[in-house]
Amino acid sequence: MLIITFLILILNLIVLPQSIKENVDKAIENCFGKTIRIEYDKLKIEDKLKIHIEKEVGQKFYSDEVYLYRIFNENNLIGYGLLDNVIGKSLPITFLVLYDNSGTILCSEIIKYREPYGGAVQSKDWNEQFKGKNHNSDFKVGKDINGISGATISVYSVTKGIKKLTLLLNNIFDK
Amino acid sequence: MKIFNLFLISLLLISNIIAQDFDFNEPKVSIGGYGELHYNSDKIGNQPTKSSLDFHRFVLFLGYNWNEKWSLKSEIELEHNFVRNGQGELELEQAYINYHHADWFGFNVGVILPSIGLLNEFHEPPLFFGTERPVYHNLIISTTWFGNGASIYSFFNGFDIKLTLFETLNSDKFSYSQGIRPGRMKGYFPDASRFLYSARLDYLNISGLKFGGSVSFNNAKGDSTNTDVIISEIHAKYDANNIVAVFEFGNINYNSGILRKSQGFYFDIGYNFSGFFDWDAKIQPFVRYSDINTASKTSSGGLNEKLYHFKEIMVGISIKPIEQIVFKLDFSERTRESDKRKSKFINLGAGYMF
Repeated sequence: MLIITFLILILNLIVLPQSIKENVDKAIENCFGKTIRIEYDKLKIEDKLKIHIEKEVGQKFYSDEVYLYRIFNENNLIGYGLLDNVIGKSLPITFLVLYDNSGTILCSEIIKYREPYGGAVQSKDWNEQFKGKNHNSDFKVGKDINGISGATISVYSVTKGIKKLTLLLNNIFDK
Repeated sequence: MKIFNLFLISLLLISNIIAQDFDFNEPKVSIGGYGELHYNSDKIGNQPTKSSLDFHRFVLFLGYNWNEKWSLKSEIELEHNFVRNGQGELELEQAYINYHHADWFGFNVGVILPSIGLLNEFHEPPLFFGTERPVYHNLIISTTWFGNGASIYSFFNGFDIKLTLFETLNSDKFSYSQGIRPGRMKGYFPDASRFLYSARLDYLNISGLKFGGSVSFNNAKGDSTNTDVIISEIHAKYDANNIVAVFEFGNINYNSGILRKSQGFYFDIGYNFSGFFDWDAKIQPFVRYSDINTASKTSSGGLNEKLYHFKEIMVGISIKPIEQIVFKLDFSERTRESDKRKSKFINLGAGYMF
């Protein structure tokens, strides 16, 4: 019985997509350092707010929930993270945006990319462009965000996705 | 022991819950596509001007993802509105199963696009300057080049690598005026005793820049000819800070037959002026210079090596009210090297992608 349980556990760890959680933890540590405590929860987006943000950005939310991370140093809240998905050409792109506690972007990272084309959207340089942006920023490809040849659809999707999350976080602050 | 067992079972349940929590992908159909309407006015030498209105391409993309790793991508294209008596074309341009293990390894098999040149895999109208695709992509690296085959790909530290095993070319169809273009089999019962082998490497980790190249080899065969073909090309595209600059150079060597070498290059420089005015729409004037010779070396030499050599200068503008829609206007003058004959082209276009 023990052996069977153990084997199932191992198989389970190999087969199921746990890398997303590990990648998120790693990305948060890279951004905030290792001496942090992370809490996360699903955040349900109210219908009215969801429609408002979708209209402003011109992109639908992947679902009516996103993951909200709270990052603590000892007991002080030092930042937030939002994990969400956008559709690339046909598959979801899972991405994380990390903010300081005033809603300014500190880091953004593609957590999982699933398409055969456009993988360059994961590049650190490209993601670095979002650093310092907040809900007042443009988030316009070709203006304050550079494009990537061969990753056009992913670039536009992720840029709009990051704008959506930034507006969402700002709205949470307002409340 | 029981406690340990219970602990493992709990761990199993928790890991399942976490995994389900983060499993965002679900089986789904996706639809996309692109299309382009062209007005072309051509004046070749002293001949009278000919103009036409042509909905050149209507393409539908249909995809399905079974799970995170396995998906189907397909594209069906109708050219020139309808098909009748050899006019117009209905093409299955892509239809492949894709396995994406991780960024560093994936493969696809089916009807694919060989990864040669900047445009073959990324040919939607908003992605290139000029109403028609660059003449380089008509006569040197012909797009859309599709056919049956398989490829493996890897993206690692900014390096994008693709190795492709692709259907052969038909060497009987190679011509002075169009190089390998007529030799493409388009997936229609290609000879499976030989293949085209292609390797492409790009580097993408410099913001706004993509550069790389590819080498392909094919022992091409037709009913009466058999020719080793080596296609080498380099390409670069910079798109940042309101500047778009493109450069491609291609060379095709043939080891036998009348045609021994095709060669060409072009470069584009464009600038997005809307950056000055804080407009959302993009307004991008551009210039292009092309130098094309589909028969730069022939077995007979002489006039043939000049007859198909031309230089072309184009000026134009792309206006994108939104990124997926483009309106284009361009003027070009082509000068044939052999007799300095000049041809003039005016093109207008409207294109979209979604």
